[in-house]
Amino acid sequence: MTKEGVQGVTEEEQQAQSKKALKKQQKEAEKAAKKAEKQAKLAAEQQSTDEDDFAKDRYGVSVMVQSQQKLDRVLVRVQDLTPEKADQLIWLRARIHTSRAKGKQCFLVLRQQQFNVQALVAVGDRASKQMVKFAANINKESIVDVEAVVRKVEQKIESCSQQDVELHIERIFVISQAEPRLPLQLEDAIRPDGEGEEEGRATVNQDTRLDNRVIDLRTTTSQAIFRLQSGVCQLFRDTLTKKGFVEIQTPKIISAASEGGANVFTVSYFKTSAYLAQSPQLYKQMCICADFDKVFCVGPVFRAEDSNTHRHLTEFVGLDIEMAFNYHYHEVIDSITDTMVQIFKGLRDNFQTEIQTVNKQFPSEPFKFLEPTLRLEYTEAVAMLHEAGVEMGDEDDLSTPNEKLLGRLVKEKYDTDFYVLDKYPLAVRPFYTMPDPNNPKYSNSYDMFMRGEEILSGAQRVHDPELLTERALHHQIDLEKIKSYIDSFRYGAPPHGGGGIGLERVCMLYLGLHNVRQTSMFPRDPKRLTP
Amino acid sequence: MPMFQVKPVCGGDVKIDLPTCMYKLPNVHAQQGNSCSSEHALQNGEVDPAVKVLEARQDEILRKLYELKAAVEGLAKTVNTPDADLDVTVSSSFSSQSSSSTMLKGSTDLDTLLGKDLGALRDIVINANPAQPPVTLLVLHSLLCQRYQVLSTVHVHSSVSNVSPQLLSCLGPRHPDSYARHLFQLGFTLIWKDVPKLEMKFSVRNMCPIEGEANVARFLFKLLAPYPSDHAAATLVDSWVDTAFFQLAEGSTKERAAVLRALNSALGRSTWTAGPEFSLADVACYCCVLRSGSAASVPANVQRWIKACENLGHFGPAKLLLQ
Repeated sequence: MTKEGVQGVTEEEQQAQSKKALKKQQKEAEKAAKKAEKQAKLAAEQQSTDEDDFAKDRYGVSVMVQSQQKLDRVLVRVQDLTPEKADQLIWLRARIHTSRAKGKQCFLVLRQQQFNVQALVAVGDRASKQMVKFAANINKESIVDVEAVVRKVEQKIESCSQQDVELHIERIFVISQAEPRLPLQLEDAIRPDGEGEEEGRATVNQDTRLDNRVIDLRTTTSQAIFRLQSGVCQLFRDTLTKKGFVEIQTPKIISAASEGGANVFTVSYFKTSAYLAQSPQLYKQMCICADFDKVFCVGPVFRAEDSNTHRHLTEFVGLDIEMAFNYHYHEVIDSITDTMVQIFKGLRDNFQTEIQTVNKQFPSEPFKFLEPTLRLEYTEAVAMLHEAGVEMGDEDDLSTPNEKLLGRLVKEKYDTDFYVLDKYPLAVRPFYTMPDPNNPKYSNSYDMFMRGEEILSGAQRVHDPELLTERALHHQIDLEKIKSYIDSFRYGAPPHGGGGIGLERVCMLYLGLHNVRQTSMFPRDPKRLTP
Repeated sequence: MPMFQVKPVCGGDVKIDLPTCMYKLPNVHAQQGNSCSSEHALQNGEVDPAVKVLEARQDEILRKLYELKAAVEGLAKTVNTPDADLDVTVSSSFSSQSSSSTMLKGSTDLDTLLGKDLGALRDIVINANPAQPPVTLLVLHSLLCQRYQVLSTVHVHSSVSNVSPQLLSCLGPRHPDSYARHLFQLGFTLIWKDVPKLEMKFSVRNMCPIEGEANVARFLFKLLAPYPSDHAAATLVDSWVDTAFFQLAEGSTKERAAVLRALNSALGRSTWTAGPEFSLADVACYCCVLRSGSAASVPANVQRWIKACENLGHFGPAKLLLQ
């Protein structure tokens, strides 16, 4: 019974299915017919457009540039497009920043680095309807070659960096096409802080930015930040070279940790293991002992600190200085502070557009400094904090909030964002710090601050092996581990001092940004190893 | 009833001959002419030894008097107008403490004036515009250096560029101990900055900034000498300071001339502008007269007083800047 029943059901089903299938077939046939019709229509249209497109060799996707030919064509830079170039026919390579089609014309904004210009394709004797359509459909961020006439405009174009001219496009060829879907929109990425939330507009998360760093770096803000960073490096090198410093390169794979053993990365090194340098200090000092007198180096520094703060990275660029001095370690402070002041001055005088660009997205007060740099002593700082109601011992280290508060107090009184704090308590400094000759509680060491955050920590180093041994024992450091360090001072060592600055931090604080990842091109922190 | 009685000046035996005169004195010259000594000399051709002794004694007395006069003059110079040859450099202030102590009386204690010592340098920060150098403050700085161990530093703020080297060295050469801030009693930090009005900051927590050169000068002068306890005298000093800054320095030609006349008559009555003692009024008036550029055509008393001021030796850097 059950079998029959089953059979009956299947028959019925088959019948039903066949009915459905019929219907389906019918539908498909209809669809195919429609499709064929559509295709025919499209083909006809295509044919017709092909027929009457007089401008068809004025646009298109050009073949991949494989260096087939070497054209003598001169490409004009967007930043050079000024009213003086009016009515000239020029060639230009740029990215499509935005495009907006409007009936018979299409407005494009062409971008080159931080500069952009408005361009127009309009149906006329040079461009056909099809060309306008093609231009409107080029994906954003694609790279195009454009031949256009420069025209002066009546009204300033507020949205572009080149406000006085626009381009009337006569030819447009796509050199490299971008994917239609971008992981983030450039307009969203440069929206000023806070504005997005108010108007319900999109903003881009820090992580999205960093995951798609290549696109994020194209924003005007990022362009400005990294141009400024390059400026810092350049000014650092120029100033120190002028002062008679020698640039040195130090190894980054080292056999022993220079400061104790904590927070260093271990790497396998053939059959043993080695460490990544957490500071070039030892090598800088060895160069001083080798009579280089004044040295500096620019290179990566590694810190295996698992701290996820706005100002810590596991790899950053260190700008390190070490110099022999004659009689007083203030000679070193003077050299370093003067270098910093020269950097600040150079940035103030030569990078004003970059600073303004960053300020548009991340508003901040201009960086203020004094020349010569203000130097305060640690006891003074403690007194200022006491006066402000902070309870701390004379020999305690500054906590981060106290550091910030002190920065505010100093700013209020002296109106400077950069100052030196001298004579730190000996107890809070590393073992190689020279003690103060007049007061054993204090030391010949100093920190430098920008906008209330520490950027450099330095000191006169102990250059006497006996004293160094004594200090190391006092800090309960295994002498065997630092034997080579102590030994380097056994053959006569000049008195010397120095310090190291983090490039990313300096840029961040100079621009008043709030995260060091913004000033690191491909940041490395405990949670990020890519890109 | 008469208030007091005086004994008759002449004895009762004086005979009064003439009713028109009250009394008559013998003619001194006539008596000398009749004296025996000159008669003697003329008659005998030689001088009486007694007269010779007398003459010698007189010469000696005169010589001593001249000596005394010179000594008093010298003293007067150091008290009122110390010689310009005295130490004028700012840097050697620690050695020449005597002249200031004679000039400015009254002791001042930094603890009572500036509050309890917290174990750190008391730093007075002055923001000044390089377009208008605060010359009065430079004079006061020089005076402060004599009284206290002052750490003087000059900075340039990033808001201005191209400050002349003269302004950078206006507080004198660097102190040899300047590497150790804790050794000093007082800090004098001058910052050249783009400020509309000069301002001074001392304790940012307990004190609002002091604005205006005149007010800062008043503050600094209090560190040197207490204000006169006599209110009238204090007001006089204050009014001269205001007159100097508002009328002499910024006023019209007419106003300036009027102030110079008033200053001239005031200086006719006393050695210094506001009485017998050197005060802030002198510092302010001196600097403003020089700043107004009318120093060459001032009345006689003012001219003399300008000389006297310059002889004090503290106006050197100010004068240098104003020229």
